[in-house]
Amino acid sequence: MAESLDKLHNRILSDAKLKAAGIVEQAEEKSKQILGEARAQAQRDADDILSRASLEAESIRRSILSSRIRANRLRILDEKNEIVQSILRTVEKSLSDIASSNQFDSTLKRFVAEAVEAVGTDNAVVKIGFRNADKKSLQSLGQSLPKGTKLIAEETAVDDLGGVVASDPEGKMIFNNSFRARLERLDNQLLTTISFAIFGE
Amino acid sequence: MSGIEAVRKIVETEAQAKRIVEEAESRAQEILASASEQARNVRQTSTAEAEQRKVQRLRETREKAEADARSSDVETDSLLENYKKLFENRKDAAAKKAVELILGG
Repeated sequence: MAESLDKLHNRILSDAKLKAAGIVEQAEEKSKQILGEARAQAQRDADDILSRASLEAESIRRSILSSRIRANRLRILDEKNEIVQSILRTVEKSLSDIASSNQFDSTLKRFVAEAVEAVGTDNAVVKIGFRNADKKSLQSLGQSLPKGTKLIAEETAVDDLGGVVASDPEGKMIFNNSFRARLERLDNQLLTTISFAIFGE
Repeated sequence: MSGIEAVRKIVETEAQAKRIVEEAESRAQEILASASEQARNVRQTSTAEAEQRKVQRLRETREKAEADARSSDVETDSLLENYKKLFENRKDAAAKKAVELILGG
């Protein structure tokens, strides 16, 4: 009886140890699973953070570069504009001084002829005015005008820079052939000419 | 051995077996608690490292972009300097052509 009791004792303990070992083993398996899942989740979280960092970095890069490039483009445009404006000021000065150049007579005659033709009447009224122009030489132009044309020599330059304005007697039809008006009419061509002459483009 | 003695021994053995199982369960709890703690640490460490790399990446990107922007500034400065030279060299010719356009146009 004592022998079978010992066997029973050992059997009970053996079963308990086996069960205990199973419980611990199961816990260790579960532990491995928890750690595995945690590592996988951690990797996904890290990937997500770095992925968003890449997008943010690209956004920062674009923001810095585009604002600087935009600012530099503006500097270039400002400089080009300043150069063109400077040339235009020189052009205006040259035009306003034309009365003292040897181109004056031919230019005046051509401007007057263009203006009279544009108005298209036999009794046009032509006003001319240039800075530093001799009034007598202006009035002498009247001899070369078509019959019926009335010439008025102004004391001051027409539209500040000088030029010619022709109209019909009633003043309903007016053709402004002043330098200022020609500058405005030829604005695009003028800018292209200056830009090409300076920048080659 | 008497019957009572035998029963007592069995009861003691059962109690010992129960303790063995309870200790194992307790150990299992500790293992799982430790695993949870380690899992938390793994995720915290990983996130912290990723955040650190993010900060570093953003700093490097910003520095590189600033460097590129400075290159753009230098390039623009050079271009503007060139414009000034072109202007000095060509301003008279440009003005002459413009005046010719206005007079002849």
